[in-house]
Amino acid sequence: MVPSAALEEHLYPLRADGGLLRTSPEFALKRVIAAGLPRVYEIGPCFRGREAGPWHGSEFLMLEWYRAGAALEDLAREATDLVDAVAVALGKPPLPWAHTTVRALVLAACGVDVARAAVADLSSHEADHTWDDAFFRRWVDSVEPSLRGALVVSGWPASQAALAAVRSDGDWPVARRFEIIVDGVELANAFEELVDGRELQRRFVQSNAARVASGEPPHPVDLDLIDAVGRMPPTSGIAVGIDRLVAVIEGWPGIARGRVPA
Amino acid sequence: MYQTSDIRKGLKVEMDGSPWVVVEFMFVKPGKGTAFTRTKFRNLLTGNVVERNIRTGETLAPTDVEELEMAFLYSDDESFHFMNGEDYSQVAVPRSVVGDAWQWLKEEFIGRVMFYKGLPVSVEAPTFVELEVVQTDPGVRGNTATGTTKPATLSTGATVQVPLFIDAGTWLKIDTRTGEYVERVKR
Repeated sequence: MVPSAALEEHLYPLRADGGLLRTSPEFALKRVIAAGLPRVYEIGPCFRGREAGPWHGSEFLMLEWYRAGAALEDLAREATDLVDAVAVALGKPPLPWAHTTVRALVLAACGVDVARAAVADLSSHEADHTWDDAFFRRWVDSVEPSLRGALVVSGWPASQAALAAVRSDGDWPVARRFEIIVDGVELANAFEELVDGRELQRRFVQSNAARVASGEPPHPVDLDLIDAVGRMPPTSGIAVGIDRLVAVIEGWPGIARGRVPA
Repeated sequence: MYQTSDIRKGLKVEMDGSPWVVVEFMFVKPGKGTAFTRTKFRNLLTGNVVERNIRTGETLAPTDVEELEMAFLYSDDESFHFMNGEDYSQVAVPRSVVGDAWQWLKEEFIGRVMFYKGLPVSVEAPTFVELEVVQTDPGVRGNTATGTTKPATLSTGATVQVPLFIDAGTWLKIDTRTGEYVERVKR
């Protein structure tokens, strides 16, 4: 159990015996990085409420690793090598990787430039008030169903940075993160980590304001994490869903058959 | 109102002024985004299928659809008349609404009549019906070879393909989902 289980608005931590179950090992591993270990990893069970479907479960196995001094590109290479190694170990060929951006994918799927799009350009649905609402509607309606093959997808909107650093990519601000998406299924998510404690505090406040506005309890603000993030060296980190990885490589229709015992 | 957590196969909802039934659904959630229920709906009036992504927090409206098992009484130029076995009330269903189901409706058969906002909108015949052949070319005795068929007219007026050994006066079991001959039945 952990004092704070998540930062993101749309994560719903499970409770057990009055405490919270971790949604990922991220907060604990960042304190280890801040304490001076340059390379750390953990593989273990994680828990998320309100996630139940072919590719989601309330308990799943997550692999996370962090490397101080590494660039996002280094982690992309390591992660695709890992996926290929798992494929080969399961008697399958390595994957034909392609690198792309969110902007290119949305443009190809529906002809909209997300860097310039307003809410109305992305969605005409009356319930979509925020830019992120409209973006995700468009993503789920049009982009995700069009995704084929093995993709490393970077250039995510800055509003979806979570614990990643943000930088301006020419004419629009993007989060320094990538997702590995194979045949439409997200297998991994990587950050060039945010190392600014005050910015992290600001994001906690922002996320919690959105949660409270939609009737959800705020996430407890993890002061130890904020302190640790402020002391972290430049670091990149990645989380891989092991159940999904095995299921996608095996060609299963979801993670239920591929449930890996923790 | 229904929440996304109420979505299941067979749930009937009102959308865009029509009644729809859920035929498939799946939980989806982009990495950093909100959850959606990717839902396939079949229009109960037209049979059209659409896919909609319903975000958690959005609601679906119930629809006023009722399905009743009713006995077929008789038909006239405009309508097929059915009776509710519980309260003996009768309803006239226009031929346009009955559609292809007329082929399999014989007096006293129990059909499934769907009402939308109180009006009959579709009729389903029983899955299997037994009907008499009233006209077909003379049978070929002893020819039980499969694969060769001929048309036969049933007592309802419908035409089905039957094996060559079937004669007028024979009773047949028909699968109304496909309109195909299943077997001879003794009467």
